[in-house]
Amino acid sequence: MNKKYRYGILFTVLAISVLLAGCVEKPGETPSGAAGEIKIGIVAPVTGGASTTGTDMWQAAVLAADEINAQGGVSVNGANMKVKLIKGDTETSREGGVKAVTKLITVDKVDLLIGGFSSGITYADQVVAAEHKVPFIITGASSPIITRRTDIDTSYFFHHCPTTDDYPESTLLFVDDAVKPAIYTKFDFDADRPLRLGVIYQDSKYGEGVYDGIKKTIEKNNLNMEIISAEKFKMSETDFRAVLTTIKAAKPDVVYPAAFLNEQTLIVAQGRRDVGLNTIYLSVECNDDPDYYTGVGEWGEYSIQESRFGPYAHPAGAIRSSVLKFRDDFESKWGASPGMMGASTYEGVYIAAKAIKNANSVDKEKVRASLAELEMPQIIEVMKDSTITFSPDYRESKFALYMQQLIMDEAAGETRPKIVWPKSVKETDFVLPDWYEPGTGGA
Amino acid sequence: MDTGVFLLILAWGLYAGCIYILLAIGLNLIFGVMKVVNFAHGELLMIAAYATFWVYTYSGINPYLVIPAVVLLMAFLGVLIERLCFRPILGTGKLNEIFLSLGLIYVFQNLAALLWSAGSRSIHSPYSGISVSIGSITLPLDYVAIIVITFIILIVFHVFMKRTTVGRAMRATSQNREAATLMGINVERIDMLSFALGSTLAAVAGSLWMISGQMVTPYMGAIPAIKAFAVIIIGGLGSIPGAIVAGLTLGIAENIVPFFIQSLVAVFGVEMSFTAWKDTIAFFILIVVLVIRPTGIFGEKGE
Repeated sequence: MNKKYRYGILFTVLAISVLLAGCVEKPGETPSGAAGEIKIGIVAPVTGGASTTGTDMWQAAVLAADEINAQGGVSVNGANMKVKLIKGDTETSREGGVKAVTKLITVDKVDLLIGGFSSGITYADQVVAAEHKVPFIITGASSPIITRRTDIDTSYFFHHCPTTDDYPESTLLFVDDAVKPAIYTKFDFDADRPLRLGVIYQDSKYGEGVYDGIKKTIEKNNLNMEIISAEKFKMSETDFRAVLTTIKAAKPDVVYPAAFLNEQTLIVAQGRRDVGLNTIYLSVECNDDPDYYTGVGEWGEYSIQESRFGPYAHPAGAIRSSVLKFRDDFESKWGASPGMMGASTYEGVYIAAKAIKNANSVDKEKVRASLAELEMPQIIEVMKDSTITFSPDYRESKFALYMQQLIMDEAAGETRPKIVWPKSVKETDFVLPDWYEPGTGGA
Repeated sequence: MDTGVFLLILAWGLYAGCIYILLAIGLNLIFGVMKVVNFAHGELLMIAAYATFWVYTYSGINPYLVIPAVVLLMAFLGVLIERLCFRPILGTGKLNEIFLSLGLIYVFQNLAALLWSAGSRSIHSPYSGISVSIGSITLPLDYVAIIVITFIILIVFHVFMKRTTVGRAMRATSQNREAATLMGINVERIDMLSFALGSTLAAVAGSLWMISGQMVTPYMGAIPAIKAFAVIIIGGLGSIPGAIVAGLTLGIAENIVPFFIQSLVAVFGVEMSFTAWKDTIAFFILIVVLVIRPTGIFGEKGE
């Protein structure tokens, strides 16, 4: 090969690499003046496997900051301070998370951190925030251990998203309240018969957290339910046929997967289509996403989706107009629909602004104390008692989670969720499909 | 374990084995002829899966008819990769080849994320609601079709390698590159054709992956590629029959063995799930085979 040709190839490869690097990531900062700023670091996986979620978190935070700045900013000591966001890309890895948080704290000198997607990544990078005593409003990690671990000082961490203890509690209370009576009435089961629950969970802190939450919920609420099969799978698994075949052989009444979107889609589709496991599938909130409804198609019909903010169904009541405004503003600004992690991160920016305003300072210790005492009205997600406040023990805010059932929408060509529980926000009643097959052990 | 359940799990293992075999044979062919280890082979499966998604979604034609179009596209991509990337560095050292293929992984992943976003894509086969009864078990029609297609491809591939001039030239180049050159074989052309053929086998694997209802993301190529590497090491580097035997063994073993272990420990009163151990089992088999027979089941010394 001649030299010209070789240099030509080299130049082309370099040019493409530079172009790609430019396309993948831009230095993320919201425009703002240098003086009188509140610097907030948004910790999110903007690149890597969870980049869709990370981008959603960043875009929602920008929307909130823009809204706050448009209203004059945050009043601190008589001066109106603008909110300036700085992007901390975790690259969907623990190492990336540590690197991003270290840079935000030591180089960008942020006053506060918001975000943190995936418990595993946050578990690693929160150590840096604890060392530097920087308040961190965690809006995307579901493991309760984030604010309960004892090896670091967790008093600077405020958990503003439901935990893996919260999902099963709401979901199983709903099953006990609506699904179980429907099954038992249709198949004439004895009331003493325990509901047969099959669990398939991700081999991770998240999956194990949900499984532990299921066991705790059954015990705490004295639910007449029996876990008849509990199988693990490796994160990002794509073939669930064998494990679903054994779960089917155990004859469950309901199957509860603790899985991420791609895994949940395949569990439900492979379960119904390939294995013939015709049961009611439950789903954790992170799967309330347009990609899930498209991916699972008709196989997802009549399955249950727990949620707190979704793309299609919105809770009834006073909060509805705020939810729709946020959705419309987000779509208008970014040309895409907001996701659940975006919603809590959006609220996270407002929570930070309110805490700083109440503290009348950006001093980290004062902001931490202010967050600990915070009480503010719910924003776009339904909260217990309609209030955002952090529990005194583990600094967790408490959400009022709702349950949706997927119903085929002929116009859309795929299923759409309808809220079926609790009564205060429901749109319609739970339906037990004709094809449903219960486990054994009836009356 | 109930016999019906056992047979069903066996069938799922057979399906998984088919995908591994198609990917491994392509990888093996490229290695055999060029002595290049292409770590980006899983990314070829990923691109083929995206291509299947897009052609099917926008044309609406039967997904099985999409396969030839994807095969042609991937053959062209294979030629491009060989010509522009591997040809210039061939013989300059194994490290160069390894790092080039590792670099290609990131280029393809980022390109895919840029073109199609990091979200997942899937298709719904028009036959996904149809099942067929085989003895005591019922299998979805698509899986039966995938297993049949794989075996047809393997037979055609075998005939091609044994009976055609190009196939013989590929085998000759694989056995002794210098001797093949002396016999008048244009080994550079054979390199190009091998890469194209290896890429088409990855293309078929990617298309069948999508038809079976799996999902594609820019980062999904790594696991199937690692399994394909395990298959060719277990089967023996450069051995096509070895890849077939190892692919089926791996696919079936990783699906069945966790349940045997589970049943075994249950005898001692231990309730534990081993279904997340699929990869551990695959690589345990790899270690055992390497310790007992370092050249793999069908490998020969010097490969």
